[in-house]
Amino acid sequence: MRRLHLVAWLAAAVFVAACGSTGSGTSNTNSYSGKTIKLGAILSITGAGGVYGPQSRDGMNLAVKQINNSGGVNGAQIALTINDDASDKAQSAQVAQKLIQEEQDMALLGPTLSNSAVAVHPLAESLKTPILAVSTTGINIVPNCNAPSTVPCKYVFRDSLGEQTAIPDNIKSYAADSHPATGVLLVAQDDKFSSDGGTIVQNTVGQYNIQLLKTIKFNKAEADLSPYVTQAVQLKPDVIFITSLGGIPAKIMTEARKQGWTGQFLGGNGFNTATVSKQAAAAGKGARSASAWYLGNNFASNAEFVSAYRAEYNKDPDQFAAQGYTAIKILADAAKRANLTFTDLAGDRDKLRSAIESVNIQTPLGPFQFTSAHDVKQTVWVIAMDGQGGFTLVHQINPS
Amino acid sequence: MDQQILNAIFIGSIYALFAVGYTLVFGVLDILNLAHSAVFMLGAAITYSLVVNHGQPFWVACLLGIVASGVMGLVIEHVCLRPLRRRKAPPIAALISTIGLALIIVAAVEQGQTGTFFSWLWVDGANSVAFPAGTIPNPTWHLGDLTIEASKVAIIPISIALMLVLGYVIRYTQVGRGLRAVAENPRAARLMGLDVDRMISLTLVISSALGGLAGILFGVALGDISPYIGRDNVEVRGLAVIVLGGMGSVPGAVIGGYLLGMIEVLALVVLGSNARGGVAFAALFLMLVLRPQGLFGAQLRERI
Repeated sequence: MRRLHLVAWLAAAVFVAACGSTGSGTSNTNSYSGKTIKLGAILSITGAGGVYGPQSRDGMNLAVKQINNSGGVNGAQIALTINDDASDKAQSAQVAQKLIQEEQDMALLGPTLSNSAVAVHPLAESLKTPILAVSTTGINIVPNCNAPSTVPCKYVFRDSLGEQTAIPDNIKSYAADSHPATGVLLVAQDDKFSSDGGTIVQNTVGQYNIQLLKTIKFNKAEADLSPYVTQAVQLKPDVIFITSLGGIPAKIMTEARKQGWTGQFLGGNGFNTATVSKQAAAAGKGARSASAWYLGNNFASNAEFVSAYRAEYNKDPDQFAAQGYTAIKILADAAKRANLTFTDLAGDRDKLRSAIESVNIQTPLGPFQFTSAHDVKQTVWVIAMDGQGGFTLVHQINPS
Repeated sequence: MDQQILNAIFIGSIYALFAVGYTLVFGVLDILNLAHSAVFMLGAAITYSLVVNHGQPFWVACLLGIVASGVMGLVIEHVCLRPLRRRKAPPIAALISTIGLALIIVAAVEQGQTGTFFSWLWVDGANSVAFPAGTIPNPTWHLGDLTIEASKVAIIPISIALMLVLGYVIRYTQVGRGLRAVAENPRAARLMGLDVDRMISLTLVISSALGGLAGILFGVALGDISPYIGRDNVEVRGLAVIVLGGMGSVPGAVIGGYLLGMIEVLALVVLGSNARGGVAFAALFLMLVLRPQGLFGAQLRERI
């Protein structure tokens, strides 16, 4: 009888414990239902970065639509606002401040340009708000967003392939293929993206026995680049390195080809959009860069993305669209695992930040994880312009 | 070096054509029309759009682009200048209202994307575009190390011819005499029976049509048309040119344009690429200190 009593008590205890755990589990998931996860993207829709921002926007909007239509994040809907910073650093920082403090967004995405990130990322870090860079590739984006301070920033992440990886990978693969002996670097000295890229080229070429004959500096808003191109072409280099963005690479390529130069163009992320390939057209044929993404990859997570993007926008996505799309998938995955309360914003931002660190998902960029420095860990695709507004795959470099 | 001299003459022609429009308005009205850079861009953008998005032949598009730029001159006069003149506002007010209009024009073009309100005008947003190959015949010749491109070479005679015509009109025709009278003394001109408002409108139409044409030539020769082509560097260079040449002097703007093109390229070759912008503006500074009236300021007693 006493034994029966004991068994009954034990059974009751197990039942209560089980109910308790089930109860708390259910309440966590249910606490998402009907709630909104507010995200704010700061993108350059207009201005010099307007070549890239609209594609990031389209990629992000597509991901939000897909997630919300398939039940949201544990039942919570994502509300994404797109905010144009007009490619202006000061405006970018003002928008970030508004999104964090007035709009009370849970996390931010962007900004488009490294030049603006220098202002926005330290602000997000100081206000303890996770921010995921989707296209910034300069030096010191992660982990030390407060450079020259080397204290790693806890809240800043990026899913874009840094120039510190992309440019050396590109030079290495071309050096192995063609053994060039000389090069000239054209760099926009008043643009962080371009000058960072230039520094990386200068630090890399020596390793592959390429002699840098000259570094030619110009201003990004220069109306006519022909005098600079003439100077480069007259040195008869094997390679011209271009680290600029926007319309500049295409202008340089067109002018250099007109002046009869037949060597190889090597570049950075500034090459990686169909817009630039289209602008350069035949003059750009064969121009190589290392990319975070390649349109023709047929693994499932990319094939699905490409077909959904084509169906939605009636055009092909590019690297910036893929990275924007991936960013939303990363934040959704992190939010799903973060046990958000939706009552304590500061606490939720912290929980989301920790969850982002352990993201491990399949994306259009390939299998995606962050390094301990919050940088992207992914395969690099070396691509070449095809002369008709597209790209062909030259090499695939797996992460070490 | 030879190629660099060609580069200098070519960019100098564009600076000159742009600056002539600037200086014409300054000569007659004593104000800087800062919407001129937006009209420069609009001329190129409209021509590009007509060719690429509306299937018009290049020469028709070109003509319509110049006409539309001229009409923008009327808009500048009626929206930015005349209402302020009526209220006897100081010149700084006109300066600011033209900056405002320039910002609006650039923003409107920038918003132009497929499916938006401005898609009839422009569909490429912030992107830089170029006329498709073959729109206009553009043979390129190689003479030794020299590369000579037809579209760039053509700019030089076109610019010089236009400036000669303008010079003739101002000096020897009835309209030119009217313009000079208004520039000299608007009140006296009115008392002599001249329709001053009409003369001012005409000045803005001519100036804007020239600005639009400069934009089209720039777009054709440099393969670069975007909402920012006027604002970024041409505008500041245009101001530098009219200071070098003498504010309000048409021949001064022409010489100033070529001079600035030459100084910039020489600075690049002799001192390196870092020095280019700096040397050009150092020359400007020197001119302001040593000869504030500019190259042609003293010789020309008459305005424009």
